[in-house]
Amino acid sequence: MKRVSNEHFGQWVNASKKVRFTFEGNEINGLAGDSVASALIANNQWLQSRSFKYHRPRGPLTLCGHDANTLVQTPTTPNLLADHLPARDHLSVSAQNYTGSLYFDVSRILDWFGRFLPVGFYYKAFFKPRGIWAYWEPIVRKAAGLGVSNLEVEAPYNDKAYCFCDIAVVGGGPAGLNAALHAANAGATVALIEQEPHLGGSLNYHAFGYETPRIASTEISVETSADRSTENSVGPSKTGDAASTTDARDAFSAISAQRDALIRAVEAHPNIRVLRSATCNAWFTDHYLPVLQGTRLIKLRAKQTILATGSSEQHVVFRNNDLPGVVMCSALDRLTRLYGVIPSAPVAVLAGNDHAYRTALSSHDGGANVQAIIDLRDGCDDPALSREVERRGITIYQRCAVLEAASRATGKVLSELIVHRLDDNGNASEKIATLDCGVLAMSAGFMPAYQLACQAGAVLGYDDETAQFQLSKLPAGMHLAGSVDSIFSLAAVEASGRNAARQAMKNLDAELTTDEDENTTCTERVNHPWPFVKHPKGREFVDFDEDLQIKDILNATRMGYRDIQLVKRFSTVGMGPSQGRHSALPTARLVAKATERSVNETGVTTARPPLTPEPLGLLAGRRFHPLRRTPLHNRHLHLGAQMMPAGAWQRPAFYGTPEQRDAAIQAEVAAVRTGVGIIDVSTLGGIELRGPDAAEFMNRLYTFGFAKQPIGKTRYAVLTNELGVVADDGVAARIDEDHYYVTATTSGVDRVYRDMLKWNAQWRLDVDIANVTSAFSAVNVAGPKSRDVLASLGCDINLDADEFPYLAYREATLAGIPTRMMRVGFVGELGYELHVPSPYIGVLWDRLMEAGSEFKIRAFGVEAQRLLRLEKGHIIVGQDTDGMTQPNEVSLRWAIAKNKPFFVGAKSVEILSKAPLERKLVGFELGATSPQPKEGHLVIRDGDIVGAVTSCEYSPTLNKIIGLAYVHPADSASGAEVVIRTDNAVHVHAHVADTPFYDPDNARQGL
Amino acid sequence: MSEQLNNVFESPLSGKVYEGAISIQDYTNKQRWGFRGKDAAAALRAEGWKLPKAPNQIITVPGDTLIMALSQREFWFLDPSTDAPIPSDVDQAISEGMYPLFCQSSHAWLVVSGDQKSEMMAKLCGVDLSPDAFSVGDVAQTQMALINCIVARHELDGSDVFTILVDQSYAQYALEALLDARAEFCRSS
Repeated sequence: MKRVSNEHFGQWVNASKKVRFTFEGNEINGLAGDSVASALIANNQWLQSRSFKYHRPRGPLTLCGHDANTLVQTPTTPNLLADHLPARDHLSVSAQNYTGSLYFDVSRILDWFGRFLPVGFYYKAFFKPRGIWAYWEPIVRKAAGLGVSNLEVEAPYNDKAYCFCDIAVVGGGPAGLNAALHAANAGATVALIEQEPHLGGSLNYHAFGYETPRIASTEISVETSADRSTENSVGPSKTGDAASTTDARDAFSAISAQRDALIRAVEAHPNIRVLRSATCNAWFTDHYLPVLQGTRLIKLRAKQTILATGSSEQHVVFRNNDLPGVVMCSALDRLTRLYGVIPSAPVAVLAGNDHAYRTALSSHDGGANVQAIIDLRDGCDDPALSREVERRGITIYQRCAVLEAASRATGKVLSELIVHRLDDNGNASEKIATLDCGVLAMSAGFMPAYQLACQAGAVLGYDDETAQFQLSKLPAGMHLAGSVDSIFSLAAVEASGRNAARQAMKNLDAELTTDEDENTTCTERVNHPWPFVKHPKGREFVDFDEDLQIKDILNATRMGYRDIQLVKRFSTVGMGPSQGRHSALPTARLVAKATERSVNETGVTTARPPLTPEPLGLLAGRRFHPLRRTPLHNRHLHLGAQMMPAGAWQRPAFYGTPEQRDAAIQAEVAAVRTGVGIIDVSTLGGIELRGPDAAEFMNRLYTFGFAKQPIGKTRYAVLTNELGVVADDGVAARIDEDHYYVTATTSGVDRVYRDMLKWNAQWRLDVDIANVTSAFSAVNVAGPKSRDVLASLGCDINLDADEFPYLAYREATLAGIPTRMMRVGFVGELGYELHVPSPYIGVLWDRLMEAGSEFKIRAFGVEAQRLLRLEKGHIIVGQDTDGMTQPNEVSLRWAIAKNKPFFVGAKSVEILSKAPLERKLVGFELGATSPQPKEGHLVIRDGDIVGAVTSCEYSPTLNKIIGLAYVHPADSASGAEVVIRTDNAVHVHAHVADTPFYDPDNARQGL
Repeated sequence: MSEQLNNVFESPLSGKVYEGAISIQDYTNKQRWGFRGKDAAAALRAEGWKLPKAPNQIITVPGDTLIMALSQREFWFLDPSTDAPIPSDVDQAISEGMYPLFCQSSHAWLVVSGDQKSEMMAKLCGVDLSPDAFSVGDVAQTQMALINCIVARHELDGSDVFTILVDQSYAQYALEALLDARAEFCRSS
């Protein structure tokens, strides 16, 4: 290989800056700007990977990331495309999918036994006898390995960002650039998405300079720009018979200058946001486009979309068309013009259209030894092109084809072509020549990059007469520009971009200087109608990803899979990383012929997102885990709390080291039972109901009677849903005639609040409902000495039991802070719930701890609270209830008003009450030394599951294991024995016990 | 005791300031109050307040108080130049048709400034907050990094800023999300 770097060749590489990386352990020298693939080719390393099924040698096909032949991996990441992976110093790259070494792949034996691996053999070979797939799966997966994930690698920082614009232009080639600039000049905000690191698209590599009418004895000599040649570059081995001309340079220079000016204008435009190295990976409704860019997933929201996505060049199907060295014409153009890599070995071009002639001219003029053009047609459509080719001494074989590519020396890289003439039916006839050849560039045509359009519902049509594609039925707001719309000549492509912008701007109601579209008529025929050359020995690949040959597709149709979708699923054609970019059209042609239909009738397989493989890390993005902290969070940490999640909240589980857990919980419980404890209950839901109809609203919503609830009193509030299921509970404090403050469970408050708004939208009562969970924070000071603590702190109300009795509500100033005080007994001791505006809970906590130090106040956590409430037999909605629990099952009948005309769920509760219970929540006891059941352990009766444990703890106060469990109603009486299946299938026999387990007369909480 | 309280109003973010190309400042300890109810607008106008013309708008009135309309019947007042007062029963006194809100206690208040603040917010919020789509005086009740928030664009001391109000229990989380999003814009600062 040779390297050149001048105005027209090697545009993306910096000849003065070298990079070194390793491939398969061998050091590779490249240039800054190289892709790994281009640098490898520059080092004569065409073999870069192995194929999926037969482990055949593979090298780059498209050189633009559109094929799976360049899948490589780095130590951190598998399945990278070498033609999209920038070469850089210290990079370590390996090939994939080989056994042994890339060069001597033991699994290549599969290729020799290909006849035993026919299409669909997976389905036939591995599904009988039943269950055998479990045996074969790991073997098959290993054999078909696509790289190795390094599980030790720390995930990169991925994130997501929204991007908003009027018009999204997908594709930064001549059509996209013109569309973006035209729309931006008309006032639209534009996001221009380009897959490559450089704008320009085909302007960067395609030899438009040879396009008629531009063609005018156009030959560019690299010698004229030798001053920028690299150290190892060599001049062209052949400059052609014709002399270089000023006209030639002018044609290409003019295009380059035009391109550069266009790019500069786009990049400088304040209305255009350019996203380079970015892939628009799908189209979703309302122009919602996921764009992958580096480690970021951009969620692009546009009002209009212009697809200037270009087209995928199609290959010719002949024997060994997958040999490294066989490439698309556009790949050779990219290799020479973008990277300045000029093949030293003889080059041939297999032409199905005039584009291939331009590749031949371009490569020749870049210094390649282009020996021949093998034209599948009777000749070039453009006589001027033919003349230019002949003038350079390149032989043209008309109406001929490559019957076979061969690798005589190594078996791994192209070295020879067998050229045959085509008969009237398009089949190979007599042999014409054997050509020494190191690189074969082929072009059978271009298929629109239709995927995004078809994801949006567009239909891809095909004219069997002209072999042209047409996308139709585009969704509103989607426009096409350039070769995706089967427009190929440069002037028409550029005009189509401007037309698309104009249409998009019209849809945005923009004022335009002209409504008239420019002429984009393009008569160039780019698609050869039948680019197949069948060989008796096969290996004519239709799908490179899946190693599918002509016979595989035909066999699928013979087996009855006539529909293209079924052919796809049976043969796996188009299911590889290329997603049918190159296989869809030949498959459709083969199926059409085999089933005696037109290609248009046969159609192509459905295009679905994503367009390209996308890392799961990008989809995950930056992982947001919203955490709620109470204002006392840092104080808990200071006290040594072990925090635990409670929904989104962080709550103290207990105070002490993990090793001290049990002792800490027991000490906290003891403090509450014998002295005083304090717990942060700021997570408790709080809802404020204000207005003339507040009492009526409460009465309709909750099961109890609230209409006559006295001011200054609290009342237990149970909420059932319309099915009569217990949905939440809390305490309702009546602050005033028209003012309630209601608590709800930590995890349920948002749902309760939402339900309240919903019901009030129906009832239209005059009540204001506010979720004040975060506005108020609260602590519960509990224990026989709690009153003393509050009294010593300085409270401006009488705390005596007569004046402030159990279940009363008071407003007071405590430590100077206006406080809502409730006497509640969740933990079964004298206790006060103190609710204050959140910014002041910190100081209240500090003052309480100071005042309580005399009484040995101790902070207690959720674990101790759970045990304390369990000793009292209090249920926790959500833990001791489930989505089916009705009030009768959990002994809440007392909390349901009997004389109310209505409450939410009343009718269902009534119906359920009349039916026999199927289970009952009861308390149970076990000896202290018994195996301790856990939440969820099953209750067994006569071998059947009748219930489960919902709560269970060892109570140091009672010195026994206590719990709550659903049991059969027949076993719900006190003293009944129930069987609980604990860990390791150990059955324990518990006794049903009355609740509360502790202080059954509830004397302590009423002190 | 009241004087003491003034000093112990605790913002979950401790009034922190993060300077840079994008600055984030904790205004949680600044005064704010609000009302809602069917008669709120009429009552406030009767008291002499000028209110935004439509919901989801914010205006600055003489004295630099910001008034934000979150609906036809809900109004928040933000005073960036006054520290939070001591809560009092009077503040929470209700009259029919107009109910005081608890925004002083319920929400943390962050002020974000800098030319690229819209781009930064695009990493966290699905609403287009660029100047063309979200101009001075606009308010969005939306989500940021998966939590509810109110974003308002207004001028403060002559600068174009975002006010961001989030549930106080999420304040630390929201700040961390903002700082993370801000990092790429502040690397050189």
